[in-house]
Amino acid sequence: MKPIETVPDQKLLLFKSCMVGQEYPGVEAATRYVFDRLGVDWFISEEQSCCTGIGHYTDLFEGLTTTAIAARNFAVARKCGYPNITCLCSTCYAVNKEACELLNTNDEVREKVNSIFREKGLDELVYEKGDMDPRANFYHAVEILLSKVDKISESSVLDFSGIRAAAHHACHYYKVKYKDVIGNPENPQLIDDIAAACGADIVRWYEDRTLTCGMGFSQLHLNKNTSLQVTKAKLDSLKNAGVELMIHMCPNCHIQYDRYQPVIEKEFGVEYDTVHMNIGQFVALSMGADPYKVCGFQTHSVPLEGFLEKVGAI
Amino acid sequence: MMPLLPYVNEYDTPECETLAETAKRSIRTPDSLGLDRCIQCGACTASCPAARFTDYSPRQLVKRVLENDWSLLEDESIWSCFYCYSCNLRCPRNNSPVTIVQVLRQMAVNRGIGLEKLAYFVEIGEYLAENGASRVPGPGLKNMERDLGERWTGFKRDLDSVRAELGLSPGDVRDTKGEIRAILEGTGYFEREKWIRAGTGRDAELPPEYVSHNSPGHEKTGAEFKKNDCIKGDLSFETDRDCSGSEALIV
Repeated sequence: MKPIETVPDQKLLLFKSCMVGQEYPGVEAATRYVFDRLGVDWFISEEQSCCTGIGHYTDLFEGLTTTAIAARNFAVARKCGYPNITCLCSTCYAVNKEACELLNTNDEVREKVNSIFREKGLDELVYEKGDMDPRANFYHAVEILLSKVDKISESSVLDFSGIRAAAHHACHYYKVKYKDVIGNPENPQLIDDIAAACGADIVRWYEDRTLTCGMGFSQLHLNKNTSLQVTKAKLDSLKNAGVELMIHMCPNCHIQYDRYQPVIEKEFGVEYDTVHMNIGQFVALSMGADPYKVCGFQTHSVPLEGFLEKVGAI
Repeated sequence: MMPLLPYVNEYDTPECETLAETAKRSIRTPDSLGLDRCIQCGACTASCPAARFTDYSPRQLVKRVLENDWSLLEDESIWSCFYCYSCNLRCPRNNSPVTIVQVLRQMAVNRGIGLEKLAYFVEIGEYLAENGASRVPGPGLKNMERDLGERWTGFKRDLDSVRAELGLSPGDVRDTKGEIRAILEGTGYFEREKWIRAGTGRDAELPPEYVSHNSPGHEKTGAEFKKNDCIKGDLSFETDRDCSGSEALIV
């Protein structure tokens, strides 16, 4: 288990996520807004590339390519002096952590990656064993927020009392490197604790709480019916638990729940009242951030206006 | 289309005598993989979203890997896993069916099986080389357009102005100075891409080393693809003492 006291607030490289950037850019803007107000020392590098997660988990990229791209991003983080890679996407988090472990423990792979860098004249990217620590240099943004939960509670200006909220913790945060989770990976409560600190009436357990969102990388595209059945199981559970706000921490889950909830309603003849947002958007909103100019709710598929009016945000 | 030689992916799928040995030596699986310690308890299948809605069973899959059943590579069910890692978390023996199935898919791909599934996503490589970012590839965007309609396509058209309003750079393009392209060249990714495209009839140009000189119609068996440099002695599995793994999670 990762002790909360070890989570840093300095030298965080806020790791750009492709799916955040292209689908829910408000997640990045809101996280920057919150980090600034919590006194977090963060930096974004335009040189940082995609982690390759989409290609890796659709089986397109092999492990060597994924590892080499990760090693380059580690060099970017070290070069700019912000070595604590802090991800908005759970798959970026898992891919980077796994690549770091592999580079530290597999001499053959590390040497192969370095030989590619040298062959291409990219000597400054060469990775030496132990350049990064798979436990100490990799975080998800939600961990940073949880480490500042008291300050978040003090800064909350919106009244979320009576709002029944529930969390979906991203699989690639707590099921891949399950020993490095803050809390119990069988029942992660990071989002719940933060939302409760903002005054929400949090539903801490519901049926299928640990079921995946259903995106499944290639599954949404190649086995869509199964993918949406999984998502529907989760949305049904939330409905049964009377949840009106679902809070998540990964853009892939966000797409699956927010973009596909209306599709599931149409395809399966069901209706849901649940709205969706990322934990960074939720905390920013609670601090009084603009729902559109900071949180970017205009890019959502499930309209949030009714919810925003109810909590007095608009 | 010319017959293809198997694609070589030595780190994901080191050439070994058995499926189990390949899985254990692959960089896709953890060093501590508890494959040989599987007790067929079914915690993986009980936790599995694919098992709930399809006939995929991670417990059966592991059993067949341990039995060295090479027909698994042609079994459509290996393409049903969501890569959610629930089995990885829940296995009381530190096994990881989700990473084993990643190896099996790569072994299938090496033999030309399932290439059409990879071809669906193949634009990701060139887009990453060019922009340093990934995006949902063309066929996926069409899939989403059909599902999500005008609200989504309208937002996608306005993405740059929304990003500007949020104080972000207009497009999600990274400044990688050509380094990503160089890395993809260095790892052989572009050769793999050509091979995938050729194998699905999308592009006839293929590096000569991938064109088989065997007579057409000759189908290689799993055993013909294997080298014998991996296993010493018999085909029995490693004992727990040889591969003790790491401590399983106790909740």
